Amino acid sequence: MVQVLRIMLREVVVLEDVVKIYKVGSIVTQALRGVSLKIYEGEFIAIMGPSGSGKTTLLNMIGLLDRPTTGRIYIDGVEVSKLGSREIAKIRNLKIGFVFQFFNLINRLTVLENIEMPLIPRGIPRLERVERAKEALLLAGGELSWLPKKPLQLSGGQQQRVAIARAIVGKPALLLADEPTGNLDRASAKIVIQTFLELNKKGVTIAMVTHDPELANCTQKIYVIRDGMIVGVKEPEKSKCILYE
Amino acid sequence: MASIQFILDIFKLSIKALTERRTRAMLTIIGIAIGPLALVMISSVIDGYGDYVISQIEGLGQNAIILFPESNYRFTQKDLDAIRALPHVKRAEPFYSIQAQVRVGTQTRIIFVYAIPIDVVFEAIKGLEIFKGYTPSDTEYLKALVGYKIAYDDNNNQVYDLGDVITITYIRSSSGRQEIKRASVSIAGILKEFGGAFILSPDTTIFLPLQAGQRILGLSDWSGIFVLVDSSTYVTDVMEKLRQMFGNSATIVSFQSIANIANSIIGAMNFISFSASLSAFAVAVAGVAATMITSVIERTREIGVLKALGFTDFQVLLMILMESVAMSLIGGAIGIALGIVGAHMLASRGFEIRATAQAIMVIKASPKITVTGISRAVLLTIFVGVLGGIFPAYRASKILPAIALRYE
Repeated sequence: MVQVLRIMLREVVVLEDVVKIYKVGSIVTQALRGVSLKIYEGEFIAIMGPSGSGKTTLLNMIGLLDRPTTGRIYIDGVEVSKLGSREIAKIRNLKIGFVFQFFNLINRLTVLENIEMPLIPRGIPRLERVERAKEALLLAGGELSWLPKKPLQLSGGQQQRVAIARAIVGKPALLLADEPTGNLDRASAKIVIQTFLELNKKGVTIAMVTHDPELANCTQKIYVIRDGMIVGVKEPEKSKCILYE
Repeated sequence: MASIQFILDIFKLSIKALTERRTRAMLTIIGIAIGPLALVMISSVIDGYGDYVISQIEGLGQNAIILFPESNYRFTQKDLDAIRALPHVKRAEPFYSIQAQVRVGTQTRIIFVYAIPIDVVFEAIKGLEIFKGYTPSDTEYLKALVGYKIAYDDNNNQVYDLGDVITITYIRSSSGRQEIKRASVSIAGILKEFGGAFILSPDTTIFLPLQAGQRILGLSDWSGIFVLVDSSTYVTDVMEKLRQMFGNSATIVSFQSIANIANSIIGAMNFISFSASLSAFAVAVAGVAATMITSVIERTREIGVLKALGFTDFQVLLMILMESVAMSLIGGAIGIALGIVGAHMLASRGFEIRATAQAIMVIKASPKITVTGISRAVLLTIFVGVLGGIFPAYRASKILPAIALRYE
């Protein structure tokens, strides 16, 4: 039944036998060893694994921040492995949103300017950007009173919601989050995961890297990665989700 | 339309980035401003004075040629007739000239005395007019037409009027001996103030009829021959013929050739000042490059974020380049503004020309601030921004986002 439903769903991300090898001088590190996975439209998946297992490298591959040494990557049905940097940047801008562990907001800019940043390469007029930024901030659980503030005037949890708003303002097909609660207290982490769940309910596909099982258990599927390979796919235990304590 | 919006947005972001590192940006901007400041200030002063000098020379007659005999040669009536017979020669008149002193009120003034058919002077120098009295005829060799600054002192008080006798003191060499001589003439006319004082200054000159050269000044040989050509276009041809005629026996000059030489000198001075300014621009390029490379290194992570958000390599390059160009434009605006102020201050001091220990001429000219000069300074400052920023911007554009995002 699940398989039938998946056939009906669109594949947002497809990785086929992706290998990533880093070479630093004479040291060769194989970060990914033939990873294959599919993420369907509307899914909320977690990628779990110990430090150095290749979680972030995998997320970077999905997010087109890095290129595979071998293997193929498809985003929304388009094979991106062989595209030029300009086309890849365009796909990142139009189809992918990023949320980072350390928020990565630009502190000299206001919250509004941070949120509207992904719309700038598209050449969208300012008035439209402001409207979309407001909409995204509300969707990410933020408050409009934050807009004129600088990020450092907000708490960590609030900054992460601003970062989520920035990630979704361009209405991406896929939201990628790398340890989004790694720098937050428990209360803020709950708010962030709650926001992700609400966004997912509204149809946003989400892939989240985490080492926290309480967060991973809030998703629909958990990919376990070790030594650069996906070693298992687990069904989450909803009762162990951070929101059910 | 989208591109214009993008350019406007990244320009705004660039200004914000500069304000974040205010002190460093200001120091770089000061470094940039020195080039346009020097270029605008020096070039406009040179151009201003150059134009002044050229206009002064050109005002003295574009169709005039003067022949001076070499020390071992004397001009004769035969020479004069031969010159008069040359094609396109309108007039040729001999003249006597000396440098002398006169008392003007409480001052002793260094002046020039020319004994020449005076009407030829009016024919050659446009704008020369009589203020009072008349031009003495060829036979009135005891009468003089004097320059305005001989009849009036520096405070514009009249010292000599028509009919007054003026005593000229000069040194005459004869048989290897030098003796101080005095001659007195009566003033028949006073010239209107001519202004300027370059090469020939009618304001500090006494014009006498030709006969006075022998009879009053006691000179036996002509100091030179003054030639007027039909039109300035024939000056070069006539000069060539005169050279063929006299060879090394005479020095032949025309105001036109002096103007050409002055033009060449001004051109050379401009080139030197431009080259000196270029070194200031070169230092500015290094300053901008250092500032921008530091900025790019400090913002590696931010650049990674921008790339993750979908900025292309070119858009990142443009954004970083925009910062350096923005700094250059601000520096250029400051430099040009200060350059204009500085040029006016420099030009207002005047330029001193010391002919002898006593004869000091001060010429003053406004700086020549032109659209071309300003545009040149603006283009050079933009070039500084682009050249200084291009390598850091290229480096930023090539940062791999995955690596940049891990950058501490």
